[in-house]
Amino acid sequence: MSRKIIPLIVAFVLVCLVMVVSGVFAFSGAVTAEKFGGSVVWSQPYDTAESMNILNVMGDDQDELFLQNTQNVTVYDGSGNTLFSQDYQYPKTTLGDVDNDGTEEIIVYYLGDLGYAVDVISNGQIQTLAQSLSIGLPARVALIRFSAGPQIVLGDSSGTLLALDLDGQPIWNGSTGSEEVRGMDDAKINGQTYLASASHDGTIAIFDATGSQIWSTQMERLRRMRTFDLNGDGNSEVITGGEYGAFMIYSAADGNNLFSNSLGQAVSEIREVELNGDPSSREIVVGGKDGGVWAYSFNGTTASQMWTGSLSDKVNEISGIDINDDGKEEAVLGDDSGKVAVFTDSGTRNNLESHSSGITRIDVGRLNGERYVVIADYSKVDVNKLAFSSIPGFQYTPLIVGVIVSAVILVIAAILASIPKRPELKVSFQDKSRESLEAERRMLKESIADVERLRKSGEVMGDAYLARLKRLRADLAENETAFKAAGFPIKVETIQCPNCGGTLELGMDKCEYCGQVLLS
Amino acid sequence: MENVICIGGILLVFILIIFFYLLNTARKRNAPPTNVAGKKETLPVYISLADKPQSIMEGMDKLKTDVQKTEKVGDKWRWIPLVIFFGGVGFIVIDLFIDLLGYFSFVFTGGGIALWLAAIVMARSLRKSDSADFPPRYNGTKQILHTLRDDLRPGSTYLGHVDLTGALLPTKVARSAKDAQDRTTEYFRDEWLALKAKLYDGNILRISAIQKSKKRKSYWKRSRISGKMKMKPEKFKGSEHDLKVRIVANPEVYSIARTSPTFKQGLNIGKFTISQLNTEGGIISFVANSPFDEIEHENILQILQSAYSLLQRKAA
Repeated sequence: MSRKIIPLIVAFVLVCLVMVVSGVFAFSGAVTAEKFGGSVVWSQPYDTAESMNILNVMGDDQDELFLQNTQNVTVYDGSGNTLFSQDYQYPKTTLGDVDNDGTEEIIVYYLGDLGYAVDVISNGQIQTLAQSLSIGLPARVALIRFSAGPQIVLGDSSGTLLALDLDGQPIWNGSTGSEEVRGMDDAKINGQTYLASASHDGTIAIFDATGSQIWSTQMERLRRMRTFDLNGDGNSEVITGGEYGAFMIYSAADGNNLFSNSLGQAVSEIREVELNGDPSSREIVVGGKDGGVWAYSFNGTTASQMWTGSLSDKVNEISGIDINDDGKEEAVLGDDSGKVAVFTDSGTRNNLESHSSGITRIDVGRLNGERYVVIADYSKVDVNKLAFSSIPGFQYTPLIVGVIVSAVILVIAAILASIPKRPELKVSFQDKSRESLEAERRMLKESIADVERLRKSGEVMGDAYLARLKRLRADLAENETAFKAAGFPIKVETIQCPNCGGTLELGMDKCEYCGQVLLS
Repeated sequence: MENVICIGGILLVFILIIFFYLLNTARKRNAPPTNVAGKKETLPVYISLADKPQSIMEGMDKLKTDVQKTEKVGDKWRWIPLVIFFGGVGFIVIDLFIDLLGYFSFVFTGGGIALWLAAIVMARSLRKSDSADFPPRYNGTKQILHTLRDDLRPGSTYLGHVDLTGALLPTKVARSAKDAQDRTTEYFRDEWLALKAKLYDGNILRISAIQKSKKRKSYWKRSRISGKMKMKPEKFKGSEHDLKVRIVANPEVYSIARTSPTFKQGLNIGKFTISQLNTEGGIISFVANSPFDEIEHENILQILQSAYSLLQRKAA
């Protein structure tokens, strides 16, 4: 093929390749220039919030910020003013409408002066519901709306469960394993509400309103348990994360394992985040103790991994927030080193401003009519206004870059094609007259005789002899060809080896260069 | 942080290597390769001679012009790879600017790297179009042919070859020998010029210039101090020249003197010393040696001229 055509063909193939790759990047939406930023609206000192929610707990038609740590329960209004603050020993809290007035009450399970007790804080008024309860150190509390009626279920650090009615009277007690209750949530079975409870020793159990165990199962030591009705069939899924990386999804109806995977590090947090904006599938984001982040999509029968990412330290909190108003929630994650990052539905990570201490809780809600993201760390709670910005049309930049690169490739190919081939450095200046050809022939024969003489005298041996002989014989063959081309009669004296192509004298039985036997 | 500095440092080194490679391409400052004898590599030219002097000299000039033309066409574009490199840098700067604004972009960096690759490919192709210099013997041989052109019988041609492909090629190993330490020394015989010409006065002139070189091959040797096996590189042990000349005198025109004060055995003529001389049978045949690596065309012509002092023109 022509030397001028080859660079252009190679360039054309490369240009096609570049444009295909550019097109894939441009039209897949993989390339975006987006950034998430935040500014702190107000901040209040608050140590190590264990629980945080933005809800109306004061009955004033406005949402407030509720916070609880290991010794205090506090409620701030939308501007950061303290509306309520009460110290407790070892409190655990949950929010729920205990008195059916349409406003959430704060239910506090704590160690009081007369033993373990439960308070209900309604519109800032504390009412002790029960005390001197026969249960241990608070681990979890939940308001479960069984079909038979709501119950406040307490779980302690040894796996003991105690259910109270709304008057504070014990209804039943039971247990989940023998270690701290690590998860307590309501689970739906055929549309009816049950209690799902899990212990640190790996026991998972479902209870009905009478305290009867529907089923239980055992897994590795457990760190997190959440329940969600992922496929909207009226039966919840129980999602668990283990101390050694086991990530499991069970059916709340019968305890069947629907999905399991090993993540290679302890699971520190599990949350549901509507990443793809498609309500027919639910997404779960899992955080690991070593900073791993995994997103799964549950399609009704099983889960599939969407993407993975990472943070620098243990993932303490995950929250789903639609920051850019595209109908898809972004996962906002905080880690133990104070880093806060936003992961989009494709898994792209965008960092927000870091905190000086580890993140404990993240929540989103409306305060004073504005939508804020509240981030609590080990020393304070910040109310942030998050913003999203992007460069319009940036997704098509791969096409622009591809066109420029393609143009450069074509220019280079054109330049290389314009460079002429380097001339052959083995040249022959040959006069075509008969006399000249005959003189050349004589000279070549003399030279061959010279080489033979040198070999016999031992001056030239081996490869050098053969190489020189081969070259002279090739020249002799060229001379014969020139004779024939000029139409002069010539007695052919050379043949070509059919194996190596070397020129040999007519009548030889064996090629001197490659050893091929000749049958001429 | 250490990782960033380390990776950044490695990347910077790579970028600098690419930059200087392209800069040297643009400035045409490539270190010329040298052979084992420490001499600059030259173009490996082989010419078969079987033509009239004028055609041969014109052909030699044309070959030189063609090679230079190829090189000049490439030279015109030598700055383009460097320009493309800076285009790539511009692309990467765009990405850095976008990143400074708080966004994340790798698109332009990808394009920049693609441009760098294209620049390297182009620079390599341009360097391949570079030619080494023609060997000095190329011009020297042309001068010999030019000098002898008027002495040629009208209508006759030069015959022979000029082999300037290199004196130390494996195909030119005449023999090899091993010493007491089992080290192999190769002896090269490079007949770089073979020329036969029928002269105007009826004589036939044959010249053969042979460069004989010696090279010790690389070998493994155990160190006396550390006991480790070490490879000793190949070593060039020097070279010398033989000039073999045979003049068949036209008996109708010349008689051959047995000796001449300007041409006798043992005489130094230029860089050569006549080591063998035979004037019997109407043929002057001699071998002249030179201990020098390089001999010039003047030395060959000078010795030919001296050899002619042995010929005595017969009376008409």
